[in-house]
Amino acid sequence: MRRSWETIRDLPAPYLLATAVLAIHLLVALTGPLWAPFDPVKLSAGPPFTSPSPDHLFGTDNFGRDVFSRVVHGERVVLLLAFSASGLAVLVGASLGVILAYLRNWVDESAMRVVDLLLTIPPLILSLLLLSALGSGYVIMISTVAFFFALRVLTVIRAAALNVVTEDFVTAARLRGESAWSVARREVLPNVMSTVLVEFSLRTGYAVLFIGGLSFLGFGAAPPTPEWGLMISEARPYVTNAPWIVLAPSLALASLVVSLSLFTEAISEALGLGSSRVRDV
Amino acid sequence: MRYVLRLVLPRVLLAIITLVVVSATIFWAVELLPGDAATRLLGQGATAERVTAMREVLKLDQPPLQRYVGWLSGFVRGDWGESLVSALPSSIASAGGRQSRPVADLVLPRLSNTMILAAAALILYVPLSLILGLVTAIYRDRKLVSWLSALVLVGTAIPEFVIGIVLLLVFSVTLQWFPPLSLIDDAQSFTQLLSMLVLPAVTLTLAMTAYAVRMMQTSVMAVMESDYVRLATLKGLSRRRVIWRHVLPNAIGPALRVTVLNLAWLIGGVVLVEVIFSFPGLGRQLIDSIKLLDTPVIEAIAMILAAVYIIANLGADLIAGFLNPRLRTG
Repeated sequence: MRRSWETIRDLPAPYLLATAVLAIHLLVALTGPLWAPFDPVKLSAGPPFTSPSPDHLFGTDNFGRDVFSRVVHGERVVLLLAFSASGLAVLVGASLGVILAYLRNWVDESAMRVVDLLLTIPPLILSLLLLSALGSGYVIMISTVAFFFALRVLTVIRAAALNVVTEDFVTAARLRGESAWSVARREVLPNVMSTVLVEFSLRTGYAVLFIGGLSFLGFGAAPPTPEWGLMISEARPYVTNAPWIVLAPSLALASLVVSLSLFTEAISEALGLGSSRVRDV
Repeated sequence: MRYVLRLVLPRVLLAIITLVVVSATIFWAVELLPGDAATRLLGQGATAERVTAMREVLKLDQPPLQRYVGWLSGFVRGDWGESLVSALPSSIASAGGRQSRPVADLVLPRLSNTMILAAAALILYVPLSLILGLVTAIYRDRKLVSWLSALVLVGTAIPEFVIGIVLLLVFSVTLQWFPPLSLIDDAQSFTQLLSMLVLPAVTLTLAMTAYAVRMMQTSVMAVMESDYVRLATLKGLSRRRVIWRHVLPNAIGPALRVTVLNLAWLIGGVVLVEVIFSFPGLGRQLIDSIKLLDTPVIEAIAMILAAVYIIANLGADLIAGFLNPRLRTG
């Protein structure tokens, strides 16, 4: 743990900057609603299409809502949705991955065939169809995104766990007569924990992107929620005369995803897992 | 020859099975959309008898499995059905003799627009990512290049719809170089078409290039640290010769694989980018049709996009297989 901290400290400046930006995002999500100047859904907080000023830092939108307050309140929505989706995906994917790697029998074999097949389903197209068929509530959206992400987490964690289950200490634990559950939890899981952490961080960034994209297309958060993807799509018609309405949530979204992605690189290097993976959503 | 068969056959089989599974999922998801084709065609005020008559005409009274098989075999034979929305209201009046627009007439022009867009993006992407990938890997010790690499890393993370919005703001709102809407169906001349293609194509290219450069960098660096490149350098070969004869040929395979994976990514990216620029392609048509509940069109477009995605993944898989010598001989 100490070593990891020292490695993080010696990381190049962009990583440190990214971590700082990410910390600000988290802070805004936690405390934002306490200090945001306006109610994010309050109409006519000012005249519509006011350009940025001390009263309205990011101006106002077509309904006269304060864009700054909407962006600040949206942080919580965006992060909560992304964390739920990636958390669920990692929980399900990592558990199944460890179990399958531990089993290494026909169950594993046939399950992986099914996973291989499901992996080649285009996530965005199918999500759009499923969300319009099942209704676009948050629970359905999170489960849909988590389903597609869990498949990818599963393959990564299973591969990492396969390297562990062949180690002597696992065989020893097995020969001691420990139950499968206890071997998986006490011997295998701690050794793939760093991969699990990196996966969680990586998938959270992807989830922000994916859910933002769904909302942008009108299949995610419903108006008047201050979700950034939705805000960008609602502001699109006014891009010529009021660019700040679209710029503010765009920059918030971009800085969140970039800092999350650099942070993932940083912890991945600090934990000695290397970097550069295949983009797979 | 035998290893080729052993490599290709199972993967092609898997791709076909996936296509069937995806087609069933698409059909099932579309079935779940509120209402059915008959009520959608006739509207809210239709009497029960007319709905029943229409359901018989549209064969909606058959069991789902039979309709799925019928739809799939029709789709494979190129009979994609008729659009529910673009039918003329007067022609819907008589349930028997409807005259509506075949899905293919609606979808194929959109498909060709999307292919033009994808081709334009790829023309920009291939040289850009090859050059940037090589240069940033070979000269990675230079200060400028390390900044370029950082920029690329940031570029991989920025969502394509944010890139699109920013390009739109800079080049069509502020500088007014390009039109803010890419209505290429109305394009009068080649230059007009080109100016409408630039922003969406550049958006796609930037998103793909950043990712490809990153993957290229890793593979070129790995090759440059390999024993045969070190030997070639020690033998006294010029740097240029080492790069052209030893590094490039060995790094091109992974780059090809990334390009094909990018094609699969393009399926999602194109939907978002087409919506941003109001580009009349498959992606935007899909979104519009979902909102209008035009089920035959949704099914056709979803099938086309899914097929491209699956085939691109198959291609990337095969390239990876051919590149792996252990699979070749093992």
